Amino acid sequence: MADYIATNAASSGVKLDKKLVKQLSRRSDRPGLIYTAQWLVLLALTGTAVWMALGTWWVIPAMLAYGTVLTVPSYSMSHECAHGTAFRTRWLNETMLWISSLLYFEEPYHRRFSHASHHTYTWMEGKDSQMPFDTPMGLKEWFLEVTGIGLFIYESPLYIRNALGRFSDEVRRYTPESELPKLKWGARACLAIYGSLAAVVLAGYWWPVIFILIPRLVGGPIMLLFTLIQHVEMQENTLDLRDSTRSFRTNWLGRFLYMNMNNHIEHHLYPMVPFHQLPELNKAVKDQLPEPDPGFFRTNIEVFWVVLKRSLRLGTKAPSIRQAPHMIAERGAKAERITKGYV
Amino acid sequence: MSENWVRACATDDIDEEDVIRFDHDGQTFAVYNTPSGFYATHGMCTHEEQHLEDGLVIDDVIECPLHQGRFHIPTGEAKGAPVCVNLKTYPVRVDGEDIYINTAG
Ligand code: FES
Repeated sequence: MADYIATNAASSGVKLDKKLVKQLSRRSDRPGLIYTAQWLVLLALTGTAVWMALGTWWVIPAMLAYGTVLTVPSYSMSHECAHGTAFRTRWLNETMLWISSLLYFEEPYHRRFSHASHHTYTWMEGKDSQMPFDTPMGLKEWFLEVTGIGLFIYESPLYIRNALGRFSDEVRRYTPESELPKLKWGARACLAIYGSLAAVVLAGYWWPVIFILIPRLVGGPIMLLFTLIQHVEMQENTLDLRDSTRSFRTNWLGRFLYMNMNNHIEHHLYPMVPFHQLPELNKAVKDQLPEPDPGFFRTNIEVFWVVLKRSLRLGTKAPSIRQAPHMIAERGAKAERITKGYV
Repeated sequence: MSENWVRACATDDIDEEDVIRFDHDGQTFAVYNTPSGFYATHGMCTHEEQHLEDGLVIDDVIECPLHQGRFHIPTGEAKGAPVCVNLKTYPVRVDGEDIYINTAG
C-alpha cells in the first residue's frame, strides 16, 4: 500500500452520487462510430482541398486545415482508446487505438501504460511519466514542447530501445514485467509500419509525405497546444486534481477536435466517463470545481506570455488563467517549487 | 477444501449490474450482481491498489475505476491492459435473501 496514491475524485474531495457516475460511464459504440465517421468526412474534405491546391499557395491553408484535422483527433482518439472508453466493443477500441497511436507517434501499449502512470501520479515530479517538461516552464521548454521536437526526441529512442527489448528504468517502473514483451513487439510493429511507408516514398510514391508526414508535422503544434494547457502553470505534487489540472472553455470545433477533453479536471476525477458524456459530467460537478479558464487561444496566449516573462525574469502573473501561487513571481524573482500533500 | 462461509449482504443490497464492497477479517472483497448471477472477488484491482467497488460492471466484466483495466467476474481473468494479473475469486452461495461468501477461497 505504500505507493498507493489515489488520484481520483475521493482524493480531491469531490463527491458525486455513485449511481450517476455509473450512468454517465455507460458504454456505447454509437458516439465513437459517429465521431469516427465525422472525422473521416473532415479528413476527406480537407484532404481533397490539399490535393487540389498542390502547386499553388492555397496548399498552405489547406495543409493547415488537413494537418489539424488529422493530428488533433488522432491524439484525442488514442487517448480515449487507451482508456478503453471510446467504444463499447473491445476490438473497435483496440483497432482505433492502433491507428490513432501510429499517427500520434506513440506505440499503443506504451501509450496505455504511460498514461496509466499519468492518472495515478498526475503532475507529480519524477512519477508522472507524461510530465514532459520541468516546471515552472521556461521559453526553451515551451519551444521544445510545442514544436513537437521534445516529443520526437523522447519517442524516437524509446521506440528503438523498446524494439530491442532494452527497457529503461522508467518504462519498467510503470509497465508490469509480464507486459514488456508486448511493448517490444508493439514497437517492432510500429517501426515496420513506419519503415514500409518510407519504402513507399523511396519507390517514388509521395502520398505518405503529402498526406501523413507533412500534415502530422504541421498539425503537431496545434495538438501540443491543446495538451500543454492541461496542467501547465498548475500545482505539482498534489493529490487535489482541482489544483494540478486545468479545464478550459473552447468552441464547438475545439470540443470536437479534442473530444471534450477541455473538461480535463472532470476527466481526471472520473476517467471511466467516456468523451461524449463529459459535458454532462461537467454539469453534475461544476459547483465543486473552479471556473474553467477562458478559451483555447486566450489560455495559450497567456501561458506563452507568462513563460516569456519568466525567461526574462519579469513578473509572471497571468491576466486571467489559473496559476498555482508559486508560479507567480515578482520581477527578477525565481519561482519556487512548492509541494503539497505529496506522500 | 477449507470453508469459511460468511454472510456478505442481502441480495437487495446490490443493484443489477453493480458491485459493492464487503470487508471481513482484514480482507476486502467485491460482491457483484451480474446478468449471470452473484459473484465475489478480491476487492482490490491487481494493477495498482484501487477498490473495485467504484468500478463499472458491464455484462460479466468489472472495469477498474482508475485505469479502466478489466476482469471477467466469474473467473477473475484479466481481460484488458493495464491489468494482467488475474483477480482471486471466491465461491458465493445465495441462501434466501442473503449472499454468503466462502472467504477461504
Ligand atoms: S488500478 Fe485498476 S487498472 Fe490500474
